[in-house]
Amino acid sequence: MLALTRKKGESIVLGNDIELVILDIRGDQVKVGISAPKNVPVYRKEIYLQIQEENKAAGDIGNLEALKKLL
Amino acid sequence: MKRETRLFGTIDIDDDKIIHFEDGIIGFPFMKDFTLIKDEEDSESFIMWLQSMDEVQFAMPVVEPLRVLDSYNPTINDDLLTSIGITEANTFCLVTITVPPEIEKLTVNLKAPIIINTDNNKACQIIVEDDLEIKYPIYDLLRKED
Repeated sequence: MLALTRKKGESIVLGNDIELVILDIRGDQVKVGISAPKNVPVYRKEIYLQIQEENKAAGDIGNLEALKKLL
Repeated sequence: MKRETRLFGTIDIDDDKIIHFEDGIIGFPFMKDFTLIKDEEDSESFIMWLQSMDEVQFAMPVVEPLRVLDSYNPTINDDLLTSIGITEANTFCLVTITVPPEIEKLTVNLKAPIIINTDNNKACQIIVEDDLEIKYPIYDLLRKED
């Protein structure tokens, strides 16, 4: 993984159309501004991981017989 | 396109029945092609199956969200739908169903709906900003309908 050190107000540019700005740093929290094309989804990673996990769980049908009985 | 699936045996799907997710589903970018299977033995059932054409073992039960929550109306950022060419007239929305070993814990994922453009069969899964549950329980609701 590439690691870059940035100060408040400095940016990182990804490709031609995505920019991450360090807006504020307070203690162990960093506020990041993201400029990206509107069709690029931006996720908080913990939510992304939860959805990935849920998609996996949806594909692992745990109890098909009980589901069929219920329907 | 023939596939040997886990749940449905051998299926033979016409190209025009393939639903294409350009970016895959969330967390599984390699799963791009699916088909929607309805249980024909049980026409009453409103559950359908999104069967992967890439991973034959993988199929997710899905349902139209309004069947389980009549107030479901998340804010969807249209810009995220530009790649599939959505207009309101051709939108079809589904949510995935999670069936755990304990059937009483049956849930749907309201936070990450799947949007299908029925004109061109392109689709995507998005995460909505609304405060909606990833595990919204539906067991009691389905029982009541019996």
